Amino acid sequence: MLRDITLGQYYPRESVIHRLDPRVKIAATFLYLIMIFVVRDFTGYAFVTCVLAAVTAVSHVPVKFMARGMKPVMFIIVFTFVINIFVYKGTVLVSLGPLNITDNGLRQAVFIAVRLILLIFGTSLLTYTTKPMQLTDGFESIMRPLTKVGLPAHEIAMMMSIALRFIPVLLEETDKIMKAQQARGADFESGNLMKRAKSLIPLFIPLFVNAFRMAIELAMAMEARCYHGGNGRTRLNPMKLQKIDYIAIVLIMLFAAAVIVQASGITGLPMLWPSR
Amino acid sequence: MRIDVQNLTHIYNEGQTDEVTALDDVSFTVGEGSITGIIGHTGSGKSTLIQHMNGLLKPSSGKIFADGTDITSKDVSMPEIRRKIGLVFQYPEYQLFEETVAKDIAFGPKNLGMSDAEIEKRVHTAMSLTDLDYEKFAVKSPFELSGGQKRRVAIAGVLAMEPEVLILDEPAAGLDPASHRSMMELVRRLNTEHNTTIVLVSHNMDDVAEYCTDVIVMDDGKIFLSGTPREVFRHSSELESKGLGLPFGQCLIREMNRQGADISGDSVLSGEDAAEAVLRWLEEKKC
Ligand SMILES: Nc1ncnc2c1ncn2[C@@H]1O[C@H](COP(=O)(O)OP(=O)(O)OP(=O)(O)O)[C@@H](O)[C@H]1O
Ligand SMILES: [Mg+2]
Repeated sequence: MLRDITLGQYYPRESVIHRLDPRVKIAATFLYLIMIFVVRDFTGYAFVTCVLAAVTAVSHVPVKFMARGMKPVMFIIVFTFVINIFVYKGTVLVSLGPLNITDNGLRQAVFIAVRLILLIFGTSLLTYTTKPMQLTDGFESIMRPLTKVGLPAHEIAMMMSIALRFIPVLLEETDKIMKAQQARGADFESGNLMKRAKSLIPLFIPLFVNAFRMAIELAMAMEARCYHGGNGRTRLNPMKLQKIDYIAIVLIMLFAAAVIVQASGITGLPMLWPSR
Repeated sequence: MRIDVQNLTHIYNEGQTDEVTALDDVSFTVGEGSITGIIGHTGSGKSTLIQHMNGLLKPSSGKIFADGTDITSKDVSMPEIRRKIGLVFQYPEYQLFEETVAKDIAFGPKNLGMSDAEIEKRVHTAMSLTDLDYEKFAVKSPFELSGGQKRRVAIAGVLAMEPEVLILDEPAAGLDPASHRSMMELVRRLNTEHNTTIVLVSHNMDDVAEYCTDVIVMDDGKIFLSGTPREVFRHSSELESKGLGLPFGQCLIREMNRQGADISGDSVLSGEDAAEAVLRWLEEKKC
């Protein structure tokens, strides 16, 4: 059950996207996020969706797998959709008692839902195609200029990689402890809210104790191997941009340019259901 | 209590790209009053198998009967099954959570809705069974104990439910020789004095040879061999080809034969068996 959480996991495959330099992928994802907020109508979203679909196809990450990762955030999307659909003034389409669904509300609700879905799909593609180690190396390299103003770039990156590394371990640990307590007759599924919250104590206490134990052991193991922070540390595989990285940079620039031009309206193409 | 496992198959992540067939058409019987050992290399499906035996995992197909009751069916009462079939996980010391040892041991009986007096009595019994001095340990925090003591507390927590069948996943792993012995002696005592049926997962062939009445060898989710320890360990080369060891006595005789002796020692298990076989062989050589 807990293993169903695929969001943020790495999906090993041989693809061009997997091979790209992590810094390029991070920068591209960042630019993509900005572009989603630049888009003003559904023609723009159709374009972004097509590009995302193309990248997904090239990455060989199955859409089914990505959709599975969406499950935990589906609630948030549905929730914002329902809120949005009722709060906007405009021409009333349907009236449900005191609540009105207006044309603006419907437009805004669909717009935000599409935006959220594109947002999550796009960013999860980054984690699906990039190993956690590469991801944090990429972040560290991008943040390095900021060490001059006192940002501990290496430490932040190290913390990120350890956190990512421990997500599956903690999920497995949770599953194990849950089963062990169930074997002693614990019941996590029935009862009212209060009772259920209380039933989580036998789960969370060992989980925290074990997490701290693992953290201490890891820290000692790192020190035993002479870890002393980022100063003077060299890399086994230094990152270097390749030809495909330069091609990717050009392509993502073109994508951003296309989105901006379309959103500014100067192309004269019709705007599909735009915001005011 | 007797447990019949019939055509049990378990597939993790069924229908997904990462599916694993952890159990493949497994059938066997755990006889009433037996000590059944389950051996097999890492990842052969032992832990998956025992989690089915008290309903923590549901099979993809197949059935398990406990004294004739199908415990894989939906209408079976889970608390009832969990009370009758106790399960001690691998490294159970990481599941303690209460403020005191006594409270932690009481967790199981409490979940079964027993009276305070009954719980108190059971905590006492369970602690004395596991050689935990009540005066000394009852009010201690379980987090202050040593690894071996924690493990005793965890096992006491399951014993306090007074199960008819006790399943243990490598109870002696990582213990010092003395604790290892007393853990195995506890298993034997529960079996002989309290008539508890035992299922024991172990990587220690000497323990299996010495304490078990029946052995099941798992390999890649299937049953590879089964029978009494003597029957099973006779297949020494097959066992070794599956990455499993042999009991000490068996190893000794094999090595001596390799170095030129011709001792008949097919049914040798323990060191004592081996000594007898060697002496017999020396007798024969003399005349
Ligand atoms: N929760 C799970 N999800 C997916 N696969 C699993 C899960 N638990 C176990 N497996 C897989 O099922 C197979 C059997 O695992 P199991 O834990 O039963 O082995 P084991 O015989 O107990 O090994 P060990 O001796 O190391 O304890 C392994 O291939 C393992 O990778
Ligand atoms: Mg196991």
